[in-house]
Amino acid sequence: MAALGAWRVLRPGRRWFSETVPGAPSPPGGPLYPPVVASITAKSKAAKSRRLQRFNQRVHAAATVEEKLRLYGKLQRPKYTVYPQTFALNADRWYRSFTRTVLVPGMPPRGTAAKPPVGAAGATLEAGRAPEPGAEAPAAAEAPGDAEASRDAEASGAAAGAVPYVDIGELRSLACDALLQESFYQNKKRPFLYRDQDHTPGPFLTQLVSTLAASLSGRNPLLAASSLDLSPEVNYYWHHGEEVVVHGHRKGRVDPVRFQIDDNPHLQIRVPKQLPEVVPLESDLGDVPVIDHKPSKLPLFKKQYENKVFIGSKVADPCCYGHTQFHLLPDRLKRERFIRDRLEDQIEVVYRSNGIASLFAWTAAQAMYQGFWSEADVTRPFVSQAVVTDGKYFAFFCYQLNTLALSAETVRNNPRKNICWGTDSKPLYDIVEDGNVKGFNDEVLIQLVHFLLNRPKEL
Amino acid sequence: VFPGVRQAQWLTKTKLVEGLPPAVQGIVDNPALGLQELEERARHVVSHARLWDTTEVAPRREKYCPVLFENLIHICRLMSGKYPALSKRMLARNCRIAATWERESILLQVRGLSGVLMNSMTPIPPVASKEEILATKEHVLETFYPIAPTIDLQEVNVYKELNDTGQCFRDGYPYSHPHTLFFLESANVRTDRFRPEQLRAKMLMFAFGNALAKARVLHGNDPKVLEQPIVVQSIGTDGQLFQFMVFQLNTTDLVSNDGVKNLVWIDSDQNLYERAQCVPEVKKGVVMKPAGISGFQPDTFKKFLALYLHGTV
Repeated sequence: MAALGAWRVLRPGRRWFSETVPGAPSPPGGPLYPPVVASITAKSKAAKSRRLQRFNQRVHAAATVEEKLRLYGKLQRPKYTVYPQTFALNADRWYRSFTRTVLVPGMPPRGTAAKPPVGAAGATLEAGRAPEPGAEAPAAAEAPGDAEASRDAEASGAAAGAVPYVDIGELRSLACDALLQESFYQNKKRPFLYRDQDHTPGPFLTQLVSTLAASLSGRNPLLAASSLDLSPEVNYYWHHGEEVVVHGHRKGRVDPVRFQIDDNPHLQIRVPKQLPEVVPLESDLGDVPVIDHKPSKLPLFKKQYENKVFIGSKVADPCCYGHTQFHLLPDRLKRERFIRDRLEDQIEVVYRSNGIASLFAWTAAQAMYQGFWSEADVTRPFVSQAVVTDGKYFAFFCYQLNTLALSAETVRNNPRKNICWGTDSKPLYDIVEDGNVKGFNDEVLIQLVHFLLNRPKEL
Repeated sequence: VFPGVRQAQWLTKTKLVEGLPPAVQGIVDNPALGLQELEERARHVVSHARLWDTTEVAPRREKYCPVLFENLIHICRLMSGKYPALSKRMLARNCRIAATWERESILLQVRGLSGVLMNSMTPIPPVASKEEILATKEHVLETFYPIAPTIDLQEVNVYKELNDTGQCFRDGYPYSHPHTLFFLESANVRTDRFRPEQLRAKMLMFAFGNALAKARVLHGNDPKVLEQPIVVQSIGTDGQLFQFMVFQLNTTDLVSNDGVKNLVWIDSDQNLYERAQCVPEVKKGVVMKPAGISGFQPDTFKKFLALYLHGTV
C-alpha cells in the first residue's frame, strides 16, 4: 500500500537525497535549493549534453597527459580506419575534409630566401634559413657582380645569424653512393614477390637519410639532438561530424563520426624543440572541401579496437616534437599500376593523401602530448614535414596544425584551418646503369637538404 | 662443449689478449672527444629503446635490441658533424660472407649472414706493433687432444670454394674495407639466443672470415705473412650485454701450427645498464623499484663509440 511503502522509504538513517544534513544552518541569502540541472542517466538530449560536459570536465581535470589520453580514448566504438597509403580515387579531397586541411601547392617561402642561388664557384650552396633582416638586406642590395663576394664575406664573418656553406657536391656523392650500394654493389637475393620496395628503395632511403642527417648535423644543432626511428608507429583518434546510428541496440541515436589513423612511416626524425610556425595561427589560405557523402563511400570501413594516440614514443620521451617523416609507397601503389589502369591523375593523389593523413596524425598526436585536445584547442601551431617517395620519385610536404577542434560541437564556431603545403613528385635520378647514376636531379636533393636543415629561429 | 672462443682460436690460429688494444683505449680516455656530453644522450637512447618505443607496456627483445643498436649507431654517426671523415662509412645489412681455409689438412669454411657490416673507404691501421706480431711466434696454440678441434662443427661437402667478400659486394665498391661487424642476439626466447661465450666465438669466426676474404682480394690466394695486417672489429650484443672484439689478421698461412699467429683483443660481458624497469615494482604500497633505467654504465657506451671512431680519429 502506498502509505506503508512511504514509511519504509522514509526510515530514519537511510538518506537517498544528498543535500539534507539535519541541523546544518542554511547559507544566508544563498540558494535554498540545489541547482535544477538535467539528469545524468535519462535518455534525453539534455541528459546527453550533461554527460558530455561531465566527460569534458574529467578530461580537463586530468593530472597528467597520460591520464588525459587514457580518458580521451577510453570509450571504444566502431570507427572508420583511415589509411594514409590508399588506392581510393580522389582520397586527398576526402582526407582534407576529414581533417579540415587546406592544400597549398608548392613549398612555403622560408624567411627571406626562398631558393638560395647556387654559388658559381665550386658548386657550393648557402643553406636557406631566416637570418636577421639587417644582415640580409645589405647583401641583397649590393650589385650582382660582387653579391657573391659579399655573401662569402658574410658567411665567413661568422655573425650570430651567419650560415655556413653546404657542399652540395659532397652530399650528391653520398646520395649516389647509397643508391649504388643498394641497387648495384651489394649482392642480394632476388626480391620476394610484390616486395620490391623492401629490396632496394627501402634500404636506400634508410641509408640516404641517416648519412645526410649525420653529415648535416654539424650545420643544424637540432639534428644533433634528434632521435631517429626506423618503422615507428604513429596513431591518432578523433571525432569529426555527426551521424545517426543505423542498426543495433543504439539505433536512432546521434553519434560523432570517429576516425583512427594507424600509420607506419619508414623513417622519422623526432626533435626536442618545436619547428617554427610558417604562417600565423589564424591565417586563411584557402577552402576546405565539403563532401556530402558518408565516409564509407570513399571506401572507408568501420572497426572497433583500441583508440591509440602515439607519436612514435611515449610521453616521457624528451624528443616529443616531430621534424621529418619519410614514407615509402608499397608495391600495390606503384606508378606502373596506375598507368596500366589508365588512372594517371591518381598518381599524385596517392602522394598527397599520404602526406596529409600522416602529417595530420603526427602533428595532432604531438599536440595531444602537450595537453591540447578538441575541447582545449592549440595555442601555438605545430609544424612537421614529410617526404613521400617510391624510391625514385620524391614529393615534399609541410604541415601546420592550427586547430584540433574538429568534433561536431567545436567545429561550428572554429574559423581556423590546418594547412598543408605539398609539391608534385619529381624523380631524384633517371636510371642506375653499370655503377653510374644517370640524370641525378639536384633540385630534389636541395629540397631534402632544406627540409633537414629546418630549425627554430633561435638555434 | 668447450668454451667456444678457445676452439675458435685454434681454428683461426689466433692468440687472445684480454681487454681492448691500447689504440682503442686511448680513444676512450681522450677527453678532447667530448664523450661526457654524450653520456646524457646515451641514457636517453637506452630509455627510448627499452621503455618508450611501443604502445604496449614493455617492448620485446626482438624490438628493443635492434632499436637500441640503431639509436647507438645514430649517436655515433652524428659525430661526423665534428669529424667529417666519418662520413666515409657505409652500413650494409644482411651481408653474406663466405671464406675457406685449410687448417692442418682440415678444410674449413665460414658462411652465412653476418648481421650488419660497416664498411669504410680507408682501412684501420694495424693495432699491434711489429714486435708483438713477431712475439706471437713463440705462442703455442692450445690443442684439445684427444678431442678433435672440429668438434661441434657441421661437416658438409663443399663443391664450390667461395672465397671473397667480393661475393658480398661487386668490384669497384668504394667502401671496400670491412670496418666493424655487428651481431644482434634479438630472439625473444633465451634458448634461441647465443650465450655470451658462443657469441664471442661466432664474432671471432666471422671477423676472421671477413679479414681473410679481404686479404685474399688484396694479396692473392697464396698463404703468407701479411706485410700490412688487416684489422676488423666486431661488436655483439643481446640488448644489454656487450662483447667488444678487435681482430688483426697477420698471416694467411694457416696450414701449419707455428709461425706468426693472428691476434684478437676481446673485452667481454660489458653491461650497458643493470635493469630497465617499465612499471614500478610496488609491494604493499611501497615502491621497491622505481620505473626507469638503473645502473647505467657510461664506459660501455664509450667503448662502443671508440670502436666506431677507431681508424678515423
